[in-house]
Amino acid sequence: MTNQIQDAYIVKAVRTPVAKYKGAFKHVRPDDMLAHVLKGVVADHPEIANDVEDVVVGCAMPEAEQGMNVARIGVLLAGFPDNVPAVTINRFCSSGSQAVAMAADKIRLGEADVMIAAGTESMTMVPMMGNKISLNPNVFADDNVAIAYGMGITAEKVAERWNINREDQDAFAAESHNRAITATQNSWFTDEILPYEIVTSHPSADGLGVETKSRTMTDDEGPRPGSTPEVLAKLRTVFKARGSVTAGNSSQMSDGAGAVLLVSEAALKKYNLEPIGRFVTSAVAGVEPEVMGIGPKEAIPMCLKRAGMTQDQLDWIELNEAFAAQALAVCNELDLDKSKVNPNGGAIALGHPLGATGAIRTATLMNGLKRTGGKYGMVTMCIGTGMGFAMIVEAI
Amino acid sequence: MKRNIRKVAVLGAGVMGAQIAAHLANSNVDTVLFDLPAKEGDKSGIAKGAIAKMAKLKPAPFATSGLASRIKPANYDEHLEELRSCDLLIEAISERMDWKKDLYDKIEPYVADHAILATNTSGLGINELATVLNERLRERFLCLHFFNPPRYMHLVEVIPCNQTKPEVLEVLEPFFVSTLGKGLVVGKDTPNFIGNRIGIFSLLATMHHADELGIPLEVVDQITGKPLGRPKSGTYRTMDVVGLDTMKHAINTMDVNLKDDPWSQYYQTPAYIANMVEQGVLGQKTGKGIYAEKGKLVFSPATGDYVAADNKFDKDIAAMLSGPNWAENFLALKQSDHPQAQFIYRSLRDLFHYCLVTLEEIANCARDVDLAIRWGFGWAMGPFEIIQATGVRNVVNMLNEERTAGNLMADVELPAWVNDIDDIHNAEGSYSPSETAYIPLSSSPVYGRQALRENVVGSISNKPLGETVFETDAIRMWHQGDDVGILSFKTKMHTIGMGVIEGILQATEEAENNFSSLVVWHPSAPFSFGADLKEAMGFHQAGEFDKIGLMISQFQQATMALKHCYVPTVAAVQGMALGGGCEVQMHCDVTVAAQESYIGLVEAGIGLLPAASGSKEMATRAVGLAKGGDLMPHIQRAFQALAMAKVSASGLDAIKLGLMTDQDVVIGNAHELLHVAKAQAKALAAAGYRPVSRSQKVKVAGKPGKATLMMMAVNMLEGNFISEHDYLVADRIATVLTGGDVEEGSYVTNEWLLKLEVDAFVELLQTEKTQARIAHTLTTGKPLRN
Repeated sequence: MTNQIQDAYIVKAVRTPVAKYKGAFKHVRPDDMLAHVLKGVVADHPEIANDVEDVVVGCAMPEAEQGMNVARIGVLLAGFPDNVPAVTINRFCSSGSQAVAMAADKIRLGEADVMIAAGTESMTMVPMMGNKISLNPNVFADDNVAIAYGMGITAEKVAERWNINREDQDAFAAESHNRAITATQNSWFTDEILPYEIVTSHPSADGLGVETKSRTMTDDEGPRPGSTPEVLAKLRTVFKARGSVTAGNSSQMSDGAGAVLLVSEAALKKYNLEPIGRFVTSAVAGVEPEVMGIGPKEAIPMCLKRAGMTQDQLDWIELNEAFAAQALAVCNELDLDKSKVNPNGGAIALGHPLGATGAIRTATLMNGLKRTGGKYGMVTMCIGTGMGFAMIVEAI
Repeated sequence: MKRNIRKVAVLGAGVMGAQIAAHLANSNVDTVLFDLPAKEGDKSGIAKGAIAKMAKLKPAPFATSGLASRIKPANYDEHLEELRSCDLLIEAISERMDWKKDLYDKIEPYVADHAILATNTSGLGINELATVLNERLRERFLCLHFFNPPRYMHLVEVIPCNQTKPEVLEVLEPFFVSTLGKGLVVGKDTPNFIGNRIGIFSLLATMHHADELGIPLEVVDQITGKPLGRPKSGTYRTMDVVGLDTMKHAINTMDVNLKDDPWSQYYQTPAYIANMVEQGVLGQKTGKGIYAEKGKLVFSPATGDYVAADNKFDKDIAAMLSGPNWAENFLALKQSDHPQAQFIYRSLRDLFHYCLVTLEEIANCARDVDLAIRWGFGWAMGPFEIIQATGVRNVVNMLNEERTAGNLMADVELPAWVNDIDDIHNAEGSYSPSETAYIPLSSSPVYGRQALRENVVGSISNKPLGETVFETDAIRMWHQGDDVGILSFKTKMHTIGMGVIEGILQATEEAENNFSSLVVWHPSAPFSFGADLKEAMGFHQAGEFDKIGLMISQFQQATMALKHCYVPTVAAVQGMALGGGCEVQMHCDVTVAAQESYIGLVEAGIGLLPAASGSKEMATRAVGLAKGGDLMPHIQRAFQALAMAKVSASGLDAIKLGLMTDQDVVIGNAHELLHVAKAQAKALAAAGYRPVSRSQKVKVAGKPGKATLMMMAVNMLEGNFISEHDYLVADRIATVLTGGDVEEGSYVTNEWLLKLEVDAFVELLQTEKTQARIAHTLTTGKPLRN
């Protein structure tokens, strides 16, 4: 066990539905999505909002619509009092779960009693690599060329190095859709999703006025019925000629946000709160940038060791499916029980709003453990430029 | 009647209707595309679907992406009111008299009093169709017969009905010729009009003689392609491309409507082709037709099966066709016993016979037949032009002899008029049997815009255009009696070697001294295939690398002279403008391009980079496009265009690729290029033109810019989409586009960028892989991936 002064408890974990790139949230700003989940995560105990000691928000491309310290803007837009501070953090795809770990650590260190961790990302509004791409010339000079590789190329390299063939990737992707559709049909996401009312204004058909429409989104947009291995097998590889990675066996680009409320034992008593979980520990590891997808292979054992646990103690693993190739390589290398990995489907079906995903999947994990009576769960993911992240929580 | 066609409705969103709408959109015409209301969902769903489908159609109906939004999809339930503001309505629905009548009844109340109603029918009689029309509309009704694909086929046949007022054509001619870039031929209301009547007879005669003489089908195609001055797909492959069902339908129209015609027994689809159609084997669209396995196998009517397509056109017979004198060629073929020679001779013989006999029935004059076949079927010379070239007397005597001998396909006497004339076409015009006179070309003012009007052998004047200023083996500088100098290249495919380079330098100097402006225009496409590779490789093989460097430097001076010349320069582009040709175009102050222009800086394809100031110019243009903002999006677009050797799909597409600018002009008809280019040149001169200073520095993206470009390239390399050599070439292109090893935002001189170009060019030329690419392209005309 790690040394800590006190435990950090999870009281609530919520998220928006996840929309497809240029889908339902095409005109929904990431700071508005963030404000929405921040309001939602304290909705049961509004008085607690006054005492939040910091809000840690993950965002992978923190610029433009999600720049300007989007965390603080989200807090203010959510109507939190001025005394609540906020910080935006970035560890690419693990930003949202890193936020949970940092918020928990602040409590565990005894420096805070009430923290919120969150993540928000609109890939529609801020593209991968941001609005202005500018690479350091030394990347080419100093044999750091893998920094320049697109994520798809790194997935191809993982597929090659760990022998993950196209058929297995497509089957994995199809299963992700299957599970996600089953979960949606059985309303297994309902308790974690905060429905989002989308209000949009457009020029009217006659071109002389404004027409305002609103609709409420309650479900994830990504899962595609009919994504069978046969259908997926027809897609062309996009990153490499005669490769194996396709749009169908890669994660979807998405928009969404999630938030987690963490408190100390003292705060549980003070506000009379029922915890749903306890934060156990987290770990982050570095790997070769050119096979960034293999990151969890290093992070997961490190995290388990820190927790003093063995893999078989885990009941539910949220392993972010950046690519079927890397998810399979990690599963195979660590011999993970595939029935416990992404039981509700993963990013291939549900989408991957980069810096928000960690917070979103924390909500899915807590909700899933509760529904199935599981005890320990994990959120883990690979990270661009070669890292892996893993964290363990205990359901209460 | 209104003089302008402002808005057009196309009725019927089938293959032809939708593509006609697309071509109108290419020409920036307000277009509404109608079809039946959809039973479910959006009522304009059928028209919408047809527009969407065209994005994937090959060859592309749209000149560039994004033009689909210029077409408004509509349906007959909700949008008939829209017709009131249309000046021209083109009906293109199925060939059913009852359906057409229903449609005409439905739209009639909404057709404006001045509007013209046209049908694109190819199978129904126009006067017969007119009878179902309301009296009010008949005088504004006619047939406008587009050929498929309408964007690319120059021919539109115009068939008036008996009541059509002459003003209708006066309004349509400028619109079709100038705006849509088409060639109009006025025909008569006879089955299959002119183009298909003669074109399909030629096909039937070809098949008949091939069958009788046992010529394998692939040999027929080799003969009836380039050797006879026709498209290289020849006869059967053309049928596969067009669709065997479509061919059968057109032949059937002749059969049904020409029962009393002396050739009627031949108006039948060969049984084996009819069989294929029945079994759904329709040619290219079904992947199999007369040819199978991508042309490796061909159907053999004798065995009833597919066989290897490896029979060849005999070289000795081919030689008989290559002489300059048609009369001698024709006689040689006639006297040869070789079945292939006899096949050519007899096919042409019966075609001549058919044309001479039917001319009076189907056309106003022989020129209309020739132009219809040239524009609608892609022949270099029409049948009457070949008769003219062979000698009318020779042909008439030969046909009379053959008839006496009972050798002709039909035993029909030649019309009497053939004995009264010595020429089919002469300086006055083209012979009309019905008027027993030579008829001049149309006098519509729109043709005043054409410097070099299309005409037929026998009527074409041999006098050179304008007055020569100076002339070399490579170029001619001339003028038309005004103060605009015109520079025309004389080299094959207008390639650019030292002769052209020196010519450009001399012409710009001449223009500065004695003219108000300079236009670069050639009488025919292409604009230019680029630098003369043979010349460059000659220096290379002789080990004279300094000469290559010198040639490139001189070429740079020539393009820079065009840009910085003290009088405005205008390029008039049609067809290919590749490599150095594109660089010449880019350095003129304005480019006027025909829509059918295919422009690209394609040097990377042969392992080189644009080094006649083209890379420098792309870097310079990015600065202008960025308007003080981020250079990189524009540099990235340029990098993609250069590193991937992109070629534009049209003039509009070249603007999108950044190879032409928003100030450049795209026009519909290539024949009007000189007219418009001169107008642009004069306008610039009149506005007090001064060139941009040659010493103006260029802001560049520098080292981080290059790294960002190479990030794209390294992913292509890792993804096996490009080779190591492609990567090297991309690296050198990136170096020039970003200004070399300097900080972001540095200002560099033109001379620095030009030096980077030459250095990279000479370096790449010395690599083995670039040399292999050039050698391969010179011998095969195709790119080599290495």
